[in-house]
Amino acid sequence: MQTTTATASASSQGSLRGLLLRRLRDGVIVLLLVVTVIFFLAHVVGNPALVFAPVDADDEHIERIHRQFGLDRPVHERYWEYLVGLARLDFGESTWQQRPAIDAVVEALPSTIILTVVGIGAAAVLGVIPGIVAGARARKPFDKASNLASVTALSVPNFWLGLLLILMFGVQLGWLPTSGRFETASIVLPAATLGIVHGGRIFQLVRSATFEEMSKPYVTVARSKGLTEWSILRRHVVRNTGVTTATIVGWEYVRMWGGAVFAIEYVFAWPGIGLLTIDAAHRQDFFVLQAAVIIAGAFVIFSNLLIDLGYQFIDRRIAAS
Amino acid sequence: MALLEVEDLHVTFRTASGPVHAVDGVSFAMAPGASLGVVGESGSGKSVTARALLRLFSITDDVQISGAVHFDGQDLLRIDERRLRAVRGGQIGMIFQDPLTSLNPLMAVGEQIAESLRLHRGVSRSEAAAEAVELLARVGIADPEQRATELPSSFSGGMRQRVMISLAIACRPRMLIADEPTTALDVTVQAEILLLLDELRRSEGMALMLITHDFGVVAATCDDVQVMYAGKLVEKASMAHLFDRANHPYTEGLLRLVPRFEDAHTGRLHPIGGQPPITGGGGSSCAFAPRCSYAVDRCLTEVPPEVAVGPQHLSACWLAADRAKDATEAGRPWRRAQ
Repeated sequence: MQTTTATASASSQGSLRGLLLRRLRDGVIVLLLVVTVIFFLAHVVGNPALVFAPVDADDEHIERIHRQFGLDRPVHERYWEYLVGLARLDFGESTWQQRPAIDAVVEALPSTIILTVVGIGAAAVLGVIPGIVAGARARKPFDKASNLASVTALSVPNFWLGLLLILMFGVQLGWLPTSGRFETASIVLPAATLGIVHGGRIFQLVRSATFEEMSKPYVTVARSKGLTEWSILRRHVVRNTGVTTATIVGWEYVRMWGGAVFAIEYVFAWPGIGLLTIDAAHRQDFFVLQAAVIIAGAFVIFSNLLIDLGYQFIDRRIAAS
Repeated sequence: MALLEVEDLHVTFRTASGPVHAVDGVSFAMAPGASLGVVGESGSGKSVTARALLRLFSITDDVQISGAVHFDGQDLLRIDERRLRAVRGGQIGMIFQDPLTSLNPLMAVGEQIAESLRLHRGVSRSEAAAEAVELLARVGIADPEQRATELPSSFSGGMRQRVMISLAIACRPRMLIADEPTTALDVTVQAEILLLLDELRRSEGMALMLITHDFGVVAATCDDVQVMYAGKLVEKASMAHLFDRANHPYTEGLLRLVPRFEDAHTGRLHPIGGQPPITGGGGSSCAFAPRCSYAVDRCLTEVPPEVAVGPQHLSACWLAADRAKDATEAGRPWRRAQ
């Protein structure tokens, strides 16, 4: 008995390292796909020279730009140079800010990380605890009311909700700043918007996980022991849904990077990577746009990797103990 | 003085496809230390009866219970939640069918037992832990100190059922309800668990209500037996009496189902034709009539009452009196069919 347990845990640790390597490899492949797609969209489907040329430029002018950026050379050479450049974190020069594109992105990154972390914290508070209570009290008034609220929260467009909060707390009540990042309170409205939208989804998922857990036989057994519903929830159910809940919050964090944070940074003029991306697009600042998309993509891939590994780690530790 | 007295128990589930009368007017009593087997097919209402005693239903069940369940001077259907929780686990312990899913997979088994002790007896954490180890030893688990700290996943099915039993008897309840406790187990393990239950009942003086679809299980463990069909009790008797003088045609069918050594050369089993009704009782005929080879016209128009057919022997059949006479003259009536 002892020996089988020992070998089982040893093999699960071994495969955890294998899993880490597999996931890292997958991450690198996805990242390579992302940068390749960006390259081909810009260089093969589109023509970067047209981005830099004035609207009234003639063919000779465009030809000059081609030579200046080396666009007259074969595609595979340019692709290789592009990859080598990325490996050295050389994303090209910002045409608008007159500095390396990567600098603009690195400067914007902390703002986005702060906003998303506070946002997911708010979403977790709004989603997890009400989700657990609603799941345990399925089809009771609290469940119905909070369910309606969460469906509303996740159904409204995030930018619209942001504008609504600006109108209420910024314009009408004048309690909170509505744009930029000049004071601590500036984060309240954008983080609240993210928290409400993503909290709605977290609520839905945590609620159904709790509900499902509540209908398992061991809960009936706990009830037959004479425990109160509250003890059953606290001592038995939450312990079993914990890993699922952590995973749900993790996925929701990644989803935030996939969309909401861009719209919300724009609405609240929050100086993060989302606002930078939209600005770069407006100003036709091609290299900054490219750098922002690649760095955001890398961040999402990295977060996914962490969540996946964290989940596997917790799960295996539970199985091993 | 009866320990448990159930009077006219009705349990109705309201479902999307209409009400289901799972238990339809069941009455019975149990003396302290008695052992009662409740036998019936799946869907006969035997498990629902057991759960109704402690009002143990899922949060999503839309269930209506009526009647009375007198236990130790109180009506369990009418007392408030707080007093009911004191009975659950404290006065009445319960064991469930599937030991693989009946324990919390993330809590050490010792802790799951100790939880009950601390709740009902208010003992300290360390006292409860020590007593949990004793209980594990009591149900025959080797190396209990070590095993108490392990999660259910490191126990086999039979061992988990032993853990379940130790959990159910932790607070020395006066009654133990075992709902198909051996159905999910290997045959050899079944016998061990039944022996354990029987031994505990005798040594602790607990009443045992054993729910099963298997007459063999009842025969090994119980003094009295009652047979359920479509939410109703169709026959009640002492175990010995029932084996000799089964009266109700349904009981007869169930007893024929038990494979017999004498039938080994023919290789033949004797199933009851047809299916039990799925919406439970509540009709205006004998629910078994469509499957009954003895049915007469009256069986399809009137519900048969419980008739005394012998000492402490009741049968709910229109033919009960005639069949009882036949049985006295010819002995086991189901034997003649062969």
